[in-house]
Amino acid sequence: MKPAPFEYFCPDSLDEAVVLLAGRAAEAKLLAGGQSLVPLLNFRLLQPAALIDINRLSELAFLAEDRGGLRIGALTRHHALETSPAVAALFPVLSEAMAHVAHLAVRNRGTIGGSLAHADPAAELPMVATLLDAEIRTRSAAGPHTHDARDFFTGPLSTVLADDEIVTEVFLPALPPRTGSAFAEFSLRRGDFAIAAVAATVTVADGRITAARLAVAGADERPLRLDEVEASLAGQCFDADLVETAARLAGESVNPFTDLRASADYRRHLVAVLARRVLTEAHARIAVGAA
Amino acid sequence: MADPDVLRPKHIGARVRRVEDPRLLTGQGAFADDRIVPGALHIAFRRSDHAHALISGIDTAAAAAMPGVFAVYTAADLEGLVEPLRATSRMRNYHATPLYPLARGRVRHVGEPVVAVLAEDRYRAEDALDGIAIDYAPLAAVSDPRAALGADAPVLHEEAGTNVLAEREFSRGDIAAELAAAPIRVGGSFRFHRKAPTAIENRACIAEYDRGRRLLTLTSSTQIPGVIRDALADLLDMPGHSVRVVAADVGGGFGGKASLYPEEILVAVLARRLGRAVRWTGDRLEDLATTSHGFDEIIDAELALDRDGTMLALSAEVIGDVGAYSIYPWTAALEPVQVVSFMPGPYRVPTYRGRVRAVATNKAPTGPYRGVGRPIATFVMERLVDMAARRLSLDPAELRRRNLVRPEEFPYRVASGIVWDRSGFGECLERACAAIDYPKLRTDQGKARAAGRLCGVGIASYAELTGIGSRISAAPGMPINTGTETATIRLDSTGAVTGNFGIASHGQGLETTLAQVIADELGARLADIQILQGDSALVAHGTGTYASRSAVLAGGAAVSAARLLKERIIRAASHLLEAAVEDIDAADGRVFVSGTDRSLSFREIARAVYTEIGRLPRDAREELEVTKVYDPFFGTATAATHIAALEIDPQTCKVRLDRYVVAEDCGRVINPMIVDGQVHGAVAQGIGAALTEEIVYDEAGQLLTASLVDYVIPAASEVPPIETIHLDTESPSTLGGFRGMGEGGTIGAPAAVANALADALAPLGAEIFELPMTPERLFRLITEATAQARGD
Ligand SMILES: Cc1cc2nc3c(=O)[nH]c(=O)nc-3n(C[C@H](O)[C@H](O)[C@H](O)COP(=O)(O)OP(=O)(O)OC[C@H]3O[C@@H](n4cnc5c(N)ncnc54)[C@H](O)[C@@H]3O)c2cc1C
Repeated sequence: MKPAPFEYFCPDSLDEAVVLLAGRAAEAKLLAGGQSLVPLLNFRLLQPAALIDINRLSELAFLAEDRGGLRIGALTRHHALETSPAVAALFPVLSEAMAHVAHLAVRNRGTIGGSLAHADPAAELPMVATLLDAEIRTRSAAGPHTHDARDFFTGPLSTVLADDEIVTEVFLPALPPRTGSAFAEFSLRRGDFAIAAVAATVTVADGRITAARLAVAGADERPLRLDEVEASLAGQCFDADLVETAARLAGESVNPFTDLRASADYRRHLVAVLARRVLTEAHARIAVGAA
Repeated sequence: MADPDVLRPKHIGARVRRVEDPRLLTGQGAFADDRIVPGALHIAFRRSDHAHALISGIDTAAAAAMPGVFAVYTAADLEGLVEPLRATSRMRNYHATPLYPLARGRVRHVGEPVVAVLAEDRYRAEDALDGIAIDYAPLAAVSDPRAALGADAPVLHEEAGTNVLAEREFSRGDIAAELAAAPIRVGGSFRFHRKAPTAIENRACIAEYDRGRRLLTLTSSTQIPGVIRDALADLLDMPGHSVRVVAADVGGGFGGKASLYPEEILVAVLARRLGRAVRWTGDRLEDLATTSHGFDEIIDAELALDRDGTMLALSAEVIGDVGAYSIYPWTAALEPVQVVSFMPGPYRVPTYRGRVRAVATNKAPTGPYRGVGRPIATFVMERLVDMAARRLSLDPAELRRRNLVRPEEFPYRVASGIVWDRSGFGECLERACAAIDYPKLRTDQGKARAAGRLCGVGIASYAELTGIGSRISAAPGMPINTGTETATIRLDSTGAVTGNFGIASHGQGLETTLAQVIADELGARLADIQILQGDSALVAHGTGTYASRSAVLAGGAAVSAARLLKERIIRAASHLLEAAVEDIDAADGRVFVSGTDRSLSFREIARAVYTEIGRLPRDAREELEVTKVYDPFFGTATAATHIAALEIDPQTCKVRLDRYVVAEDCGRVINPMIVDGQVHGAVAQGIGAALTEEIVYDEAGQLLTASLVDYVIPAASEVPPIETIHLDTESPSTLGGFRGMGEGGTIGAPAAVANALADALAPLGAEIFELPMTPERLFRLITEATAQARGD
C-alpha cells in the first residue's frame, strides 16, 4: 500500500498554484488535507504524475461574514467549521453536520475544498452545501468562476470541476429570518460516512411554511435536494400529518443503491425516518427562536 | 516462625501498573517493523486475484529489470530450498494440506502469495508488481460451505479427495430416543459469519542470516516464536541453536498471529540463501485477506427439556467453513471441533450428540481467533436456553440456575469428554444478576415495553477450558505439546532477578503479571525483576501465548521455580546470618531472621555467593538459577456470566448498548486492572462479532471487505462501559490457583448481545439465529416481523 512515484510541488501562492496546475492539468492532483486523496494513492487507484500541495496557501484558509452569509476559504479545516461561533450562529445546521464528519484527527486535516472536490456521495459537506444553495468559487488559468452547489456534483467522486480548476472558497448565502434547521444521520459507527443523512431548513411566516429545503446524502449517487418534497411543504400549515406525508414522499423520491452496508430498501426507509425527524426538529427550532 | 504478616502476598491481587507501558506509550517499543537492518530487502507480493485457478505461466522479466529490484521469486525458484509445511494430526478422518511459501501451480484463495519481489524498499517492490504477468486458467470456485459438500463441487485438494478436511462426532446417550420423548424442544439453524482478528499491528517479519555464526534470526509479529523455531529448524534442516525466533513487542494477535505463515517461511529461506536481511511488513489489505479468519459456522441445533426446565438432551450438526488450507500447527479442525466439544457449556446435559465437518472453500484459511469455537457454541447454546425459557414462560436467569452444574457435582464430565474442575458457575450468574440489579432491570424493561420501546436484556453463561496441560492437545490430535511451560529464574551477581519464559506476550501485560508472581513467591522487589519472553532462545522448549494459557502455565512454572530459588537463597542466607533456615524468610528483596533486626539484601547474598569468595563454605555457594517445567496436565475451567442491556430504535434499527456486566471466575486474580483490560477488549471484540464485523466473500470467492471501511470493527463510541466482577476463587487444579481469562470476553459477548436483541424483539415475535446482526439484517427482521404481526 505505497503510492506510485509522483513529482511533488508546494507552491506558496494561489497564483503559483494556478500556473503549476495549468501546466500539468490532467496528470496533476491538488493535495489539501490528504484524507481522501492519500488513501486513493496508497491503493494505487490514482497514480497522478504530480501532486500540487496547497497547504501553504494561507490565503485560502479563512472564514468571513458577508451580507449575513459566510465566505469559507477552501483550505478551512473541518475542525475550524465545527468550532466556529460564526458558523454556529449563522448556519447551525453546518455545525451540527460537522460533528458527524469522521473523527477529530481527520477533521484536523480535512478541508472543505477537498471534501467538495472529492464529492463522496455520502459526505456531509457536499450535502450541506447543496442544502444551503452554496456558491462554489474557483480559479483557473482562465480566471475566476462560480458554480451553484446544486449543479456542482455530477456523480460518485465526480464534479463539474475542470482539471485545471482550483476551488478557492464557498459562499453560503444568508438564511431568511424565522428559519429553523436540523441535520440527522445514520451511520454504522460514530464518524463513519453516512448510510443516509438528511438535513432540512424550514422557514415560516404567518403560521405557514413559506419555504422548506430538504437535502439527502448517502441515498443516491450524489447529494440531492428533494424538490418535490419541498414543493409539497411550501405554503402549508405545519402539522404531524404534513410531515408524515412529506417524509414518505422523501423516501419514495430517492433512488438509492445497495452495497455491503445497506440495501436500497433500508436506505429509502432511513431517508423517510430521518426526513420526519429533521423536518419536525427544524420547525421546533423556529418556534423556540421566535418565542 | 516467620511473621505471618510478611508472608502475605503483596503483589498478587494488586492493581500494579504495567511495567511495559512506559515503553509502549512513549514510542520506545520495538515491533518487528521497527527493526532497522541496513541493506535489508523489502518484499512485496503479487497475490492471487483469483479464488481458484491453475497457474499456467508467470513472466517476471519486466519486473526483474525495474529500478531498485534485486530479485523476483516464484514457487519454481524455491524448489529444493524448502519443504512444504503440513499441519498433521492424529485425528481420524483428517486431511492435511501442503502449504508452500508461494503458490505452486494453483491458487486456492484470493490473496494467496504467488510472486515475491525483493527490492531496496517497499515502494520499488510495489512498483515492480505491475511488471509481472501471470496466466491463470480459472477453475470453478466454491464459496458456500454447503455447496462445497455437494457431489459436484470443485475439490480444492485432490490428494484429500474431498472438501471435508476433518470430521468428528461426540455422543453420549440415545439422542434420537431422548429427543423424541422430550416434552419441550427448541431449535433452529444458526449462522455465525466469518470474522478477522484485526490486530492493530499488521503481520510483519524480518529474517537475518549471520553467515559467520550460521545463525538465522527471524523477528516476527508472532504469538508462537517457539513453535516457529521448531518448524523452521525442521523445514530448513538446521539445528535449533542456529534458528532464533524473536517476537519482541507485538501489537495484538487475538489468534491471528498464532500460526506459522508462508511469509515467515519465505523471508527465512531467502535471508539464509541470500545472506541478506529480508523483510515483509503486511498492510491492512494483506491482513484482511490473509491473516487467519475465524467464527465461520453453520449450526443446526436442538435442545430438549422437561416441563420443569431440566435439560434432557442436546444435538448439534455443525459445518465449519475452514477456507483453503489446514493451518499450521492447529489444523483446520481446531475451531469447528471446539464448537461441538464445548456446545453443552456449563450445564448438566445428560444426552448429547454433536457432529462437525470442517469444509474447505476458496477463502482464506481459518485459524484460532479469541475464544476459538466457544463463542459460536455459546451463541447457539445460550440462544437455545433463552428460547426454551420463553417457551416455558420461565425467567432466563431461573432456567440457567436450574441447569448449571452445581458445586457438589464438580468435577463434572461434559458429554464431549471435557472435565470441569470446581469453578463458580452458579456464583457468576448470581453475582452478575446482583451487580446489574436484575429484578429492577426487568421492571424497567416492562415499563419501557409498555411504552412501545424495544428494550432487551440478554444473559450468557459459559465455561471454557484454560491453561490446558499435556494430557489434552490444544488442537485435536495435534502432535505438538502445548501443555508445558518453562521458567528459568535467576538471581545474578548484582542481586537482580531475571525470569526467562517461553511465552510471547502481545498485549497481555505478562511482563507485569509474571513479575508479580515471582515477587511474591521469592520475596523480591518488583523493581528488581525483569521478565524476558518472546524469544525462542530463552528456554529449551517454548510455544508461546495463545489459548488462555500463559498466566496459568507460565505463572505455575514461575511459582515452582521461584519457590526452589527462594529455598536456595535462604539456605545461603542461613550461613551468612547464622540462623536456622526455618527462622528465615524473604520479603521486599531482603532476607531476615524473624523476631530480630538481622537481615541481608538479595544483593548482599548474591555478592556473597558469586564474588566474595570465602564468605561462604564452598558447598554452601548455592546455584542461584532454577529452571522448572510446569504441566497442569488437564487444565482448569473458567466460567463467567455476561449480562447486556440494550435498546433498538424501531425506526432506524440502530442498537444502543446501555449496560454491560461481566462476572467471571478466573481463579486467583494476579492483577485486577489487567484482567479488567482483558475483559474490556475481549467484550468489545464480542460486540463487534455480534453487531458489525463480517468478512464477506461473494459467490465467486472475491473478498468484498478488504479495508476497514467495509470491515466494521466497533470503536470506543460503540462500546458501553463494562462492569467486571471477579470471583477470585483459587483453582484447585493449578499451581498458584490461576485460571486463564484472556479469551472469555469474546466467548460471552456475542451470545449476551444476541439474547438481548432477541429479548428486545420479543414483542414482535422475532428470534435471532444469525450474527452479526447488522442494521441491515435487523431492518429485514423487523420489517418481516411487523408485516407478519399485521398479517400480510
Ligand atoms: C477515516 C476517515 C473517515 C472519514 N469520514 C468522513 C465522513 O464521515 N464524512 C466525510 O464527509 N468525510 C469523511 N472523510 C473524508 C474527509 O472529510 C476528507 O478530509 C475530505 O473528504 C477531503 O478533504 P481533504 O482536504 O482531506 O482533501 P484531499 O484528500 O487532499 O483531496 C481530495 C480531493 O480533492 C481535490 N482537492 C482538494 N482541494 C481542492 C481544491 N481546493 N480545489 C480543487 N480540488 C481540490 C484533491 O485533488 C483530491 O482529488 C473521512 C476520511 C477518513 C480518513
